[in-house]
Amino acid sequence: MALRALILLVAFVVAAATGLGLTWLASATGNGFGAVRVGAWSAWPKSGTPDADPYARAAFARSGELPLGLADGLAFYAVNDDGGNRLDGRCDIRIAGRLSPARFWTITVYDARGRLIDNAAGRYGFTSSELVWASDGRVEITLAPRARSGNWLPTGGREDIVVILRLYDTPVGVGSRSSDAGEMPAVSQEHCS
Amino acid sequence: MRRYLLPIAAGLVLGGLVHLLSTLALPRLALDDAYARLAQLGALNALRLVPEPTPFAAAMPRMDPAFESAVCRYDLSRGALRVRVPVTADYTSVSFYTRHGLAYYALNDRSAGRRLIELELMTPAQRAALPEDEDITAADRLIVESPTTEGLVYIRALVRERGARGAVRARLNEASCAPAA
Repeated sequence: MALRALILLVAFVVAAATGLGLTWLASATGNGFGAVRVGAWSAWPKSGTPDADPYARAAFARSGELPLGLADGLAFYAVNDDGGNRLDGRCDIRIAGRLSPARFWTITVYDARGRLIDNAAGRYGFTSSELVWASDGRVEITLAPRARSGNWLPTGGREDIVVILRLYDTPVGVGSRSSDAGEMPAVSQEHCS
Repeated sequence: MRRYLLPIAAGLVLGGLVHLLSTLALPRLALDDAYARLAQLGALNALRLVPEPTPFAAAMPRMDPAFESAVCRYDLSRGALRVRVPVTADYTSVSFYTRHGLAYYALNDRSAGRRLIELELMTPAQRAALPEDEDITAADRLIVESPTTEGLVYIRALVRERGARGAVRARLNEASCAPAA
């Protein structure tokens, strides 16, 4: 009798651990299915529509974020550089290249928990009109712990950082094909201190 | 050891089911979702400016600091709401979310095509109850149907560069969200 109860207990403990563990993991990594990936950047266009899948809905409910409505814009997240290494705020992170068409876009740096990073300049990101553009329509932004010339965003030397590039009023993502995602800038890291 | 193989296998199968059910239930069980966070600003069926995010405090994680925003937490059980948003110089959008954070509609200043975005928010039942002639005479009347009785209207206005923040905020302060009657 006691043995049978123990066996039942084992089954339930295994069920609870795998089930809740999977849910915890799934809601902490990514925003559901249908990701559009361009280089280091990932976006989930469906998560901002009524067709958002259960994983997207669970992820947003857990983080406490409001997804951007797709008719409003599309958010591209970068957690790693192009080589797949975790973005590290102690390095010089270079974001350079062309962007998909959008009426406006913004780029913002967050710590691993989604908070802005404190800095003396009070600078947390750029809008597309604040940036200094190269004459050929490319942008070049440097994320580093200490001030740089050009388009510099402070990282406060935090270990893990997340960069979000949001395109507002954009045709990107409205089509279902991944090839519609267009161009996103390259992300590389160097001089890690 | 062999007698544990079956319960472990059964546990794994059951675990898959637990995973599916808990994922589906999470939006309803999450205590600290966007709606709950924005509810701390108070007021139902009224517009509230959302404080600008700082490194030390933010209404929600990963907010875009380049925007000034306002929220109207709504409950349509007593009737429809009228939402008025004056557009700002650069980019203004109005997004609609259900109680559990599903984005069901959004429009921006360009798609609305006018200086003042004015719309009525109602449930499908309230829309069906509108007098028919009224529906026809007001052809340019913008009606948004909320799939749920409760939800959020979230207004975003871009601050193109820092100096413009005060002006954008003042403009957003003129927006309103109030019972239609």
